[in-house]
Amino acid sequence: MNNLSRRSFVSFALASTSLLAMPAISTGSARPKVVVVGGGAGGATAARYIAKDSKGAIDVTLIEASKHYYTCFYSNLYLGGFRDYDSIGHSYDNLSANHGVNVVHDWAISVDSSARKVRLGSGATVSYDRLVLSPGIDIKYDSIDGYSVEAQTKMPHAWKSGTQVKVLRDQVLNMPKGGTFAMVPPPNPYRCPPGPYERISMVAHILKEKNPTAKIVVIDPKNKFSKQGLFMAGWEKHYPGMVEWIDNDTHGGIKNVNPETMEIETDLDTFKADVACVVPAQRAGAIAMNAGVTDGDWSPIVPASMQTKADGNIYVLGDASVASAMPKSGFSANSQAKVAANHIRGELTDSRVFPAKFSNTCWSLVATNDGIKVGANYKAGEEKIEVVDKFVSKTDEGNAKRKKTYEESIGWYNGITTDMFS
Amino acid sequence: MVNIVFKFFIAISCLLIFRGLLAEPLLDGADFDYGEYLSGQCLTCHRNSSDEGIPAINGAEALYIAKKLILYKNKELENEVMQLVAGALDEEQIASLAIYFNSLEK
Repeated sequence: MNNLSRRSFVSFALASTSLLAMPAISTGSARPKVVVVGGGAGGATAARYIAKDSKGAIDVTLIEASKHYYTCFYSNLYLGGFRDYDSIGHSYDNLSANHGVNVVHDWAISVDSSARKVRLGSGATVSYDRLVLSPGIDIKYDSIDGYSVEAQTKMPHAWKSGTQVKVLRDQVLNMPKGGTFAMVPPPNPYRCPPGPYERISMVAHILKEKNPTAKIVVIDPKNKFSKQGLFMAGWEKHYPGMVEWIDNDTHGGIKNVNPETMEIETDLDTFKADVACVVPAQRAGAIAMNAGVTDGDWSPIVPASMQTKADGNIYVLGDASVASAMPKSGFSANSQAKVAANHIRGELTDSRVFPAKFSNTCWSLVATNDGIKVGANYKAGEEKIEVVDKFVSKTDEGNAKRKKTYEESIGWYNGITTDMFS
Repeated sequence: MVNIVFKFFIAISCLLIFRGLLAEPLLDGADFDYGEYLSGQCLTCHRNSSDEGIPAINGAEALYIAKKLILYKNKELENEVMQLVAGALDEEQIASLAIYFNSLEK
């Protein structure tokens, strides 16, 4: 202390304390960096909220291969003729123009989590302080014997929106008179639990008008499904005798599919289809696997923040995560993104971090002006995201209520896409 | 008669002034930053540019928002989604959301 005046000691001590109090990464002059992989409901929302709420204090890069994003939600309504294709497509332009997000249209190929770098398809690397992975699902093509990447043009899964839904719509519109549409829904867990059954409703809606003697057979690897009573009552009401749903116990299991003969073989029978939508099992997008943050097919997360259990610098949102009670839906991903964005901003800029709050509602359309919904809100438990309260539409509610529910879903679609892309 | 009207006017004025002096209990404990964070949950559905299907709420009176949320919370207003959302909000959260949305431009 002899050579150190009291004054300089105090300054030194203060400087040391403030250095200690600051997050390590903001000690340099550069802004902290967040890289978001995947520009869907989780990724676009996370990028937008982090950039918007940090008011430029955080450097946000969004890596997304597509220049135009076609939402998975409402792709069934396009299939059914309730929306045109362009109306479910969105651009990323506003994320850069309005919030300064650096949007890179490329594939994220690999993650080096110790060096905190993401390698892109172009060969470039991007460094991060925090990484948000929101890659959605990959299809497990080998989960159904006979199915493959090549098979998907003949028996489209159409489970990632985009051009495959167009292919499927064309196939349904051109189906022979009195033909058979077969649907093989995926096993649990999968993206959008009511999605296969809304899809059946939309196909029935087209066939009722254009091909009324056609049949729909659903060969399900499950024995029950989301909003089952509501869908089945709706099919009976709007499309009587058209839809036959066969549960796993009845058909005894799907043995294989043959895209050449358009056959689906089960223990019970071999079903021949004119058009078939086959949706295999799913897993987290490849980049989550590559980053080493998965356990089995999905990424376990810390409920309070959406950080992965494997790596606190990496967050996984949406379909790719194990969100326990929350379904794999766009609404869920959007909700989780806001919890993660708040947490990341807190870690990087010392802003306030508020308790996690999650919610989800899934609207489905059964027929013209017949909308149904299921929803819940959730809290972060110690180990899992837990349900606080939930609701589901009732089978005996009137037509006016169903119409209102459908109109509400249009409001939601416009709301969430504004929340992602504006 | 004029006297009665005058007295009535004074009484009403006093009441309004007195009410204004008291902090509105429904908005007690409002926290703007907390409201901004919580608003994320609302903005999945509500947007400013249109009332189509779901009403726009930006710039609405704070007290109006708080009262509506309480009515949904108590299930005195119909709508399952709103009953669910409001049902999980405490008084501080309702007040925070109310002042936050009130601050936004219509």
